[in-house]
Amino acid sequence: MPKKIGLSDWSEQFKLVSVEQIKKFTYYHNSEWGIYLSPPATFMVYGTRELKRLKLDNSFAALRLWGFVFNESERLFRAKQIGKKVIATMGDLGIVPVIIMAFPDCVPFYPECIWWTPFFKESTVLLDTATQLGIPEATCFSKATLGAFYKRAYFPRPDAIFASTGASCDDYSCIMQLVEDLGYEIVWLEIPLRKGQKAYPNNASGRLEEYLIGEYQRVWKKMVELTGISNKNQLIKSIKKANQLRNLVTSIKNLTYEAPKAPLPGLELMTIEFGNLYGYADIEEWIDILKMIKRTIEDRIEKGLGVLQEDAIPIAWITPSADPLLLNLVEDAGLRIVQTEYVINQALVPIEEDIDPFRALARAFLQASLIGKTSERVKRIIAGVKEGKIKGVLITNMLGASHCAMETGLIMRFLSAVPVLAIDVPQPFGITEQLKTRILAFAETLKH
Amino acid sequence: MVNEKKLIGYTCSYIPVEILAVTGFKPYRLLSGEINLARAGEKILKVDACPLIKSNLSYILENSDKFACIVGSTGCDMARRMFDCLQELSDIPTYIINNPRTDKPEIFYDEIDWLVKELEKLSNKRFEPELINYEIEKWEAVRNLYRQLEAGRRLQTASLLSAAEFAQICANYHRGAIELEIKTTNYFNPPIGGLRKSTKPSVYLIGSPIPYEAHSIIEMLENEVRLVGDFNCGISRFLNIKIQNKDLAGIKQAYYKQIPCIYKRPNHDFYAMVGERLKELACQGIILWTLDYCDNYEFELKRMEKTFGLPVLWLRSDLSFQNKSQLKIRIAAFAEMLRQSI
Repeated sequence: MPKKIGLSDWSEQFKLVSVEQIKKFTYYHNSEWGIYLSPPATFMVYGTRELKRLKLDNSFAALRLWGFVFNESERLFRAKQIGKKVIATMGDLGIVPVIIMAFPDCVPFYPECIWWTPFFKESTVLLDTATQLGIPEATCFSKATLGAFYKRAYFPRPDAIFASTGASCDDYSCIMQLVEDLGYEIVWLEIPLRKGQKAYPNNASGRLEEYLIGEYQRVWKKMVELTGISNKNQLIKSIKKANQLRNLVTSIKNLTYEAPKAPLPGLELMTIEFGNLYGYADIEEWIDILKMIKRTIEDRIEKGLGVLQEDAIPIAWITPSADPLLLNLVEDAGLRIVQTEYVINQALVPIEEDIDPFRALARAFLQASLIGKTSERVKRIIAGVKEGKIKGVLITNMLGASHCAMETGLIMRFLSAVPVLAIDVPQPFGITEQLKTRILAFAETLKH
Repeated sequence: MVNEKKLIGYTCSYIPVEILAVTGFKPYRLLSGEINLARAGEKILKVDACPLIKSNLSYILENSDKFACIVGSTGCDMARRMFDCLQELSDIPTYIINNPRTDKPEIFYDEIDWLVKELEKLSNKRFEPELINYEIEKWEAVRNLYRQLEAGRRLQTASLLSAAEFAQICANYHRGAIELEIKTTNYFNPPIGGLRKSTKPSVYLIGSPIPYEAHSIIEMLENEVRLVGDFNCGISRFLNIKIQNKDLAGIKQAYYKQIPCIYKRPNHDFYAMVGERLKELACQGIILWTLDYCDNYEFELKRMEKTFGLPVLWLRSDLSFQNKSQLKIRIAAFAEMLRQSI
């Protein structure tokens, strides 16, 4: 029976997993050291302490998902060890890795994804380190990135760093500047503001595309210098691979959102969505995991099974939560997530395959969540509310983060047809009874 | 003829006032720093939004009939997003220029061309070269006069002009009131008997824009230190604009090549150019004044201490000045520390 289970249940369930199955699934196709299937308790012992409190989906596909995701740090160090180039891509959330993956033995990753680490590890070490390095307290939790670069223990020293800045969030732009000040060499890329048809009537986004194409060609040039290889056909293949992943995720989301009973929990869904950024450093294996996830979901739907109650109230979630526990709590309160805006729209949209690849990437990026107007960001959610598919909206912010402070009021205004709850995600261990009460009260409001 | 009734509000030092002035409207730098307005802004924005933005937003909405349009840039994320609010809550035309964070002059120049076209449509006026030239000459003459005044602020012995007075004069520039007569005689001629040598340590002011209503902080500082210079959008940062060629191309170059904002990436040039200023002015310390949640400056405090090699006093404000007594004590302690190190 599908359900969310805790650590001890997972340890029991893992006893039923055969050695053959454990050895079958590996990263980088390496059967010697590439095994990533472990009971979640193993990761808890290694430091992912929040697993004591989290509940995860009980499917084998989810076991693969979590083993693979929690194994990422090891995978990046392994990549370096076996001669792959590890490339940090920062700030653009979804496009530059597609270029990186066009080069053989190059592994892109997003250091900002380390923002979940303090919460999974129930430790403020990275956040405290960032504070000691000069970052103010009230800032986006992506400041953990600076702590990670300083400590050098979370990922290997990147062979190249691409940092995108511009019409996006200030917090991370400032963090990237401080990373450079630590002594890392950075290739800076420009993110333009999306002004739309009205601003450039003759050529809707033409000039913006040209700016971005120029930037992506710089990325290409740097990668050619790094690898000595330049094969544009590989970029076309990389785009196809990225689209394969994106289409798979879209399919998983649509199946899950539309099913009468949610076949997969919100925490797994969020993790799946963020996998679009870079495939968690092994896109081939990640795609295979998602294919299994999709089969699991299809099977559950066919059998009328789900992990949440059928009367769970559908909500939209805006801006991802740095604390995974919140997703469990929201579902425990009787809600289910049927739409998201996790600031990574550019990683979800299909990339055109029948035009110049750099232009295709530019057009995909121009659909980014944070580079335009707030109203554009919540368009799909507004539509979902109008269609009656979304009964409420949850916004998770970070105190002091620039776009959160400015967008939340407007978002509440745009979505005023339904109850909207906006909360500031607290530091690790910061989820108080008051916060839980607010979530429960929000759920009560929606029920009535 | 300047249309006295309508203002053209702007939020950023990269926006050429000359271009705004060609429209016939009065350029008005949005530097509202009134605490009640900031609190009113919290009806729309979260409490952790920049107080200047909150105040400006409320100010614009309360005085919407005064504005022909508002022009902004992508310099600071919160300032840019204020325009989303304006577009939703008012009918005032708004224009945002893409001000590149990285070194991309072509983007900036394209955006200025775009802004010119939009303002031509708004004002129903073609921006002929003669009109542009006229505004450049006018504003350059004003800036030259202000530079002479500024020189009086930073004399080695003592100031002919206090920083507070100078800031008030600069406010005229920001409000577009450049036709006001400045009684300069006193500021250029030392009093009979010469200047009394100042014993106060010389410091430089950097940080978030000082709003019109917050000049009391400058007075507070001057009780203890000499403010011999500043890199502050609310005071004299505009003096870095020097337009060589008196045409649109000259405007673009001058505004693009000014001492860069700290949010530019990488921001080494900010440190290099401000560092030169600190040396020229023989500064003994730095006052870093930030508004709450001003990421661009707050993140850089430690880097400033390290890079400039001078003591830095960090003053943070929500525009309420409820902590005046504490501020005075901190400023006095900073001055005492600087005096002991001289």
